[in-house]
Amino acid sequence: MEREHERRIVEAIILASPEPIAPARIAAVLPQCNPSQVRARVDELNAEYAEQRRAFEIWEVAGGYQLRSLPEFAPYLKQIQTTRPLRLSPASLETLAVIAYRQPVTRAEIEQIRGVDAGAVLRSLLDRQLVRIAGHREVPGRPIVYATSRRFLEVFGLAKLGDLPTLRAIEALAEAGMAEEDDAPAPSAAAGEGADPLVDPDEEREPGEEQDAPAPSAAH
Amino acid sequence: MTTAGTPMPDGTGDFGSNSAYAVKLPIFEGPLDLLLHLIRIDEVDVTDIPIARIAEQYIAYLDLMRDLQLDIAGEYLVMAATLAWIKSRMLLPPDPSALHEEGADPRAELMARLLEYQRFKEVAGEIGERHLLGRDVFSASAHGVEATPEAEREIEVGVFQLVEAMRRMLGRAGYSGAAHEVETETITVRERMVAVMEALAGHGVCEFEALVREDDHWASRAVIVATFLAILELTRLEAIRLYQGVDEAGAPVGAIHVRRRGEAGDRGWAERVSELM
Repeated sequence: MEREHERRIVEAIILASPEPIAPARIAAVLPQCNPSQVRARVDELNAEYAEQRRAFEIWEVAGGYQLRSLPEFAPYLKQIQTTRPLRLSPASLETLAVIAYRQPVTRAEIEQIRGVDAGAVLRSLLDRQLVRIAGHREVPGRPIVYATSRRFLEVFGLAKLGDLPTLRAIEALAEAGMAEEDDAPAPSAAAGEGADPLVDPDEEREPGEEQDAPAPSAAH
Repeated sequence: MTTAGTPMPDGTGDFGSNSAYAVKLPIFEGPLDLLLHLIRIDEVDVTDIPIARIAEQYIAYLDLMRDLQLDIAGEYLVMAATLAWIKSRMLLPPDPSALHEEGADPRAELMARLLEYQRFKEVAGEIGERHLLGRDVFSASAHGVEATPEAEREIEVGVFQLVEAMRRMLGRAGYSGAAHEVETETITVRERMVAVMEALAGHGVCEFEALVREDDHWASRAVIVATFLAILELTRLEAIRLYQGVDEAGAPVGAIHVRRRGEAGDRGWAERVSELM
């Protein structure tokens, strides 16, 4: 099939998909096309949009592609928004961060790290489907363990969990002292921490970037 | 974060009640956050915290909160006790027999917790600055077929479960105790039915809770009750369907979604409403 035509089909499928659609699903529709060719078509489309100064681009989120408006238009779109706008308190963000990097994690572990009760925040994150119950831990009391959801990846614009920014190593924090803690979060410090489930190269979310088999399953 | 400890009477309140002051204090996410703040403004090293001084400032802050009649969560008091304990341990001469024990420095555990908390606080700030869906970026929203996420299914509930759900919702909205609404509102179920259908005009789906919230707070009790009845009525009229996710065991979990049946322009429901009410 002609490449130009193939590109248009990919565009139509992504446009009409109600949720992020995986490259493999798109490839299945196109004769003689594999997921990596789909990725190439998406890259071409994004280049085309940028060149034509369109108001949208294709993002890779939660293992699939989705057409999204550019951030600069948010002030206008907010005014016509019919659903409740997304608001995340610092408490929600901190709790999400703990869950994202420590999953599957119990409520007690979250509270130990944050030093405060997590019940209300957890409930609201569950309600908003940013967090899911990932089962029980097989220890006395069988506490529930929490993990981030597919929706979390979607909302935060992450192709997979590994795309989260790196958690700064404790040693680096201690060395840097507390003085300039609001400054650059030093992505250099990564290696020392065996506990992090995330080994991440770059935090820059670049749509259509080469990603191998997206697996946002969260289990490790 | 604003600067510490500057209470600002707003002057407009009634002076007889607890709410006479609008207070501007930094909002701390908990005792660890407060400690990090104190350590930072003191420019001391987190690995060598001057416990006596920091503990004093910590207590002073709690006193300030108390003076302002803010509730002090239990966690803050536990931390105050911990600081006092560490302080007392530091005053004792080191016990030679305990030298090899882990925790020779009584501050070690607190330091570890502070550092651990700080990394999550940092990264939380970072992810909060991403371009979030529904806040900074918006997705193209196609809805051809009535798209039910596979994980969700239509709710099957009886009347007792509905009443229970209603009671729970009012409880969460803080209307469980004595109500003290003074404004008279006239809300009809019919108005709420129209409002629900209007909310569904765009996407065809919205969260049940979003219908009983106004911006950041809950709607009045009357609105919640009327909306609840409106949703039941609309379901009966087959104008909407209610969906909710299920967990592995098949029990409903997560937000309840209200979905429109039929096409966007379909006004059939409006006629049916008119016939009835």
